[in-house]
Amino acid sequence: MRAIMAIAATTVGEAIRRKVLLIILLIGVLFLAVAPGLNTLSTQSETTVLKGMVLGIVQLTSAVIAIVLTVYMIPNEIERRTIYTIVSKPVQRWQFLIGKYLGAVGALGIMMLLMSLVMEITFFLQFQSGFKAEDALDLLRAPAMFFVQMSLLAAVAICFSTFVTPLVNFFLSGGLYLIGSLFAPFFDSLNQNSSTPMFAKLTARFVGVVLPNFSIYNVQNPIINPGQTIQNPTTYYMQVTGYGVLYIGLLLVLGIVILDRREV
Amino acid sequence: MKSKSLKQTLTIIAVVCAIGQGALYNGVIFNRWKADYAPKNGLSVGTGLDAQQYIFALSGFREMIAGILWVKADSFFDDGNYDAVLPLIRLVTLLDPKELDVYATGMWHIGYNFTDQDERSDRRYIPSALALGKEGIKNNPDTYEMYFETGWMWFNKIDDDYDQAVKYLQEASSKNDIEPARRNLLAQALIRDNKLDEALDLDSQLYDRAEELASSEGSYNNANNRDAVAGNWDNLIVRMAQRGDFAMKQGQKIYDAYPYDTKPPFDTQFSVKASVVEPRVLQIEGTYGVLSVGTRIRVDLRDSDYDADKAAELDWDGQSTVDLSPPKDRTFMQDQLYVKNRRFNKRIDMQQDPTMYPFVANNYVLEFFYNPRSAPEYIKDKFGFNGEGFTDSNFLNTTVRPGERCIYVKFNFTKDQLWRRGEWEDTVPTAQTKNFKEIAPTDSDKDVIFVPALRAGGK
Repeated sequence: MRAIMAIAATTVGEAIRRKVLLIILLIGVLFLAVAPGLNTLSTQSETTVLKGMVLGIVQLTSAVIAIVLTVYMIPNEIERRTIYTIVSKPVQRWQFLIGKYLGAVGALGIMMLLMSLVMEITFFLQFQSGFKAEDALDLLRAPAMFFVQMSLLAAVAICFSTFVTPLVNFFLSGGLYLIGSLFAPFFDSLNQNSSTPMFAKLTARFVGVVLPNFSIYNVQNPIINPGQTIQNPTTYYMQVTGYGVLYIGLLLVLGIVILDRREV
Repeated sequence: MKSKSLKQTLTIIAVVCAIGQGALYNGVIFNRWKADYAPKNGLSVGTGLDAQQYIFALSGFREMIAGILWVKADSFFDDGNYDAVLPLIRLVTLLDPKELDVYATGMWHIGYNFTDQDERSDRRYIPSALALGKEGIKNNPDTYEMYFETGWMWFNKIDDDYDQAVKYLQEASSKNDIEPARRNLLAQALIRDNKLDEALDLDSQLYDRAEELASSEGSYNNANNRDAVAGNWDNLIVRMAQRGDFAMKQGQKIYDAYPYDTKPPFDTQFSVKASVVEPRVLQIEGTYGVLSVGTRIRVDLRDSDYDADKAAELDWDGQSTVDLSPPKDRTFMQDQLYVKNRRFNKRIDMQQDPTMYPFVANNYVLEFFYNPRSAPEYIKDKFGFNGEGFTDSNFLNTTVRPGERCIYVKFNFTKDQLWRRGEWEDTVPTAQTKNFKEIAPTDSDKDVIFVPALRAGGK
């Protein structure tokens, strides 16, 4: 466990020193800071539009960071041959991969926390006394779920990074993120359409189970448009977090098996 | 793999994770997600989004896209580019069906802002505006707003078929999140729907509630609302007394025995003449013996084959889906004739807006309609809530709106007449009621308003 934590801590340090990530983060933060410039609408719309925009910026920036952060992680270690100095020590490859993943998630968490902080400050400055502590907590529910979503995306990318080049991985992970987000609504449409053949429905269901489903973490709508009655949102958040943890576990095992068989 | 046990452990973890995530997703999460968080049906059908926007929207950024589009719609609106606003409103409501403000603004925009050069509303859009309202209700059934907005459109814009306004406003009032003062509109709708007892009961309940709020919370708005409700309640009681409604409840004898304001019924002596003075230009003049200001008579021109059951209106509620292009081959003009000094005279030019007035059909109906339920209160003081104190010796009609006393007159015109073609090129097509008499305009018509006394029979 100490080895995993040591690798994770080193990975976090490396990640937050990477200029490309810092630039993406800076762009995200700048977008968050200028988002209130959209206050051209009525009071109600202003809040709705601002929440939608700000949460969208957090999610989009986090997705780019999650992919860019993880696609280089294993290949860079192999290319720079720093992996030799690690695996020659009493560190197993599975520990190395899990440490790297936890480090990536840690760095991602720090960056998302920073963005969430800027988001909260933006709202506080915009609405001042109208923005209460419960509003701040309510707003944080979305980034919390995005964090689980991005952790899953990072697991996808780190799994791919054990056997493909970073460029290919970038498109593969990005593509899977899109498909994983698109497929659930598509599957839903297929199910609703009575003319869909049974075989297509079954195939869609199978693919729905196999592919990671990212859309279940998009919980921002009730936060953006308050007044909706959602039964037991906390239970839902726990269920989707459980789903994420299980899927991440599956991807990490797959990554470990591939890395273990790979000639380094 | 260095050890067999690690290999086994990894296999077990993988199997548990695979089965667990599949079971969790299919067993619990999907249904919850579908019910509470999934994009609604709109996104699985045509949205008008291009491929990138569509993918972006479905990838979890639909609220963000909706926000950007709404900001864009606002800039189009500021520029007066109303045609460009419509598809954006549609897209935003499809992307984010919970954004009530877009539904409400969209309804208002579709229902009110499309006009011809004389700022006459294109009422062919109203069924679409109502369809948008109904869609908003379907997607947001737990909040009052879309019920209220839809009710308001029936009450204010359509200003007819008041049972519809009552239906929606009752739903709005039943929601807990409604602003207290907004409940007051239901009482007004009930009055126009001639449900006076219900309006009286409601005013009583509204007063109790407003008084309680004003006492417990004490804000200016609550106190103001309490005073407004008290005023409405008082007015209704006084009016019901003066117009003989309480007396009627006790029997015709009581009503006959006292000089209520609604007696004797006032004869409006309506007459009208309509001429096609130029191609697609109508000149309408006539008489109406009611107070000098405040009376508006509805005039409409429509295809004669359009829904004959509906006199002097479109089938406002006949559309269940939002279609932002009204039927291009349908003509429907509706306007108001303002009565001054018991006369009205209006030129209606339909030449400049061929998309609004296509005149494709071969036959048309020109209708004149007056419903005392829509009249201002000072006229209803004489006419009564449902026209009991109102009559017209020639054109009183109780069938076009069953249970209501209206004036209704209709003329037929052909397409050739309206276009002044063929035999009508040099002859002015004219239709008039038998009682119409030409009255030469006088200088005093421009700036003097004569105020006759209705109680003395309007002399």
